[in-house]
Amino acid sequence: MSRVATLPGAQLEALRIEVRAASWFAALGEPLTEGDRSDAVAYAAALAFDSLEIGLARDWPDAERLLKAPDWTPAWWDREEALRRTLLAQAEARYPERALWSALTELTTEAGDLVHGKAATAAARMGKAAAASIHVAAGAASQAVYQLAVARLAGQPASPFESKFRLYAAGRWPLGILGSRLVLF
Amino acid sequence: MTDIVVKTVEELKDAPEEYREAVSKLVISHAINELYGAQVFDEPAIAYAPTPYAKWLTCRVAMEEYGHHVRFKQLGTQIGIAEERMVPGTGKKPLSIFEFPLKTWEEFVAIKLLADLAEILQVEDLLHCTFHPLRNLARATMPEERFHAQFGEDFSAELVKTPDGKARLQAAVNEYWPYLPSFFGGSKSRNNEIFRKWKIKQRTNDEMRQDFVTRATEVASKYGLTLPEIRQAA
Repeated sequence: MSRVATLPGAQLEALRIEVRAASWFAALGEPLTEGDRSDAVAYAAALAFDSLEIGLARDWPDAERLLKAPDWTPAWWDREEALRRTLLAQAEARYPERALWSALTELTTEAGDLVHGKAATAAARMGKAAAASIHVAAGAASQAVYQLAVARLAGQPASPFESKFRLYAAGRWPLGILGSRLVLF
Repeated sequence: MTDIVVKTVEELKDAPEEYREAVSKLVISHAINELYGAQVFDEPAIAYAPTPYAKWLTCRVAMEEYGHHVRFKQLGTQIGIAEERMVPGTGKKPLSIFEFPLKTWEEFVAIKLLADLAEILQVEDLLHCTFHPLRNLARATMPEERFHAQFGEDFSAELVKTPDGKARLQAAVNEYWPYLPSFFGGSKSRNNEIFRKWKIKQRTNDEMRQDFVTRATEVASKYGLTLPEIRQAA
């Protein structure tokens, strides 16, 4: 007898509501709050990066420079990716593969359109953003939605993707780890 | 030529059977190929991208390609095509280019530069489609396809700044280019004849192929790249 369950529609709908309610890119460049710092530290610690300084990108050109810097820390990306793969395997063990895949694709597509518009609005307000950077921001934000969905469908509500999403929901964009700094925009 | 305009999914039910079948074939083809492209090229390319900027840009491209599959699949569902006919591995043979797994960042840039130009031509041919839901879907897809080709141009411009980067990109072009002209189908395609009969598509496969070769040669030359000779091109 198969132990594979049907997808949790209510859980996915709750996530959709969270995605729509988030303040995507609304606080870019603003001074960091204690809440931002707390979520950033939690996010880094959950990926086994301790004692990082929390940095701030001032504007879009600053963010673009940091994102293209050759001295970024690949271990940050690799740890997220390894965790995502593990969580996806757990989710695939719980739910029918095609239904899971379709739900994730449709959620991410819907979120992608939303965050793309929010990034464009933020870039227009602040100015000086390269056109491609709006796509970069949308890619980063929709990746965060996808990671969060995978984690929750895997039954892991305490993953780093929760604190990462909270940063986005608060209007921030976590740009990644460069050396001893986790940089937020 | 046969004059017919189908403005809605509802109206399609009253269209001739040959017209309905032709529309279904096109929708299935686009749904499957968009998904193959995203799975075989775009998603794996994220790992090869050299910086977070390039990785997230590639994420966005991958999500848009998956999004194209979702849109075509949604239209297919609306016109009564079973979902399993619009996903790979269920009958329709993939294009030959999808049989070569991505190995490097340069290969991905070459694919965006040239294969996405081929996609642009395919979508352009639907911009005047007599089945308006498909025409509208093509119009929604076109700006994203143009962005993907621009992605290929932007990263080509980066790579050709160094002799080593240019050599690696040229090697990738040499590897993938021979597979691209067949993207447009056979010269005596019966399907294409039916698509044109009903003005679902506008041009013959050979006309599109020749246009593609001309445009690809122009875009490659902008970056000092050359396209290898291929027996069946044009």
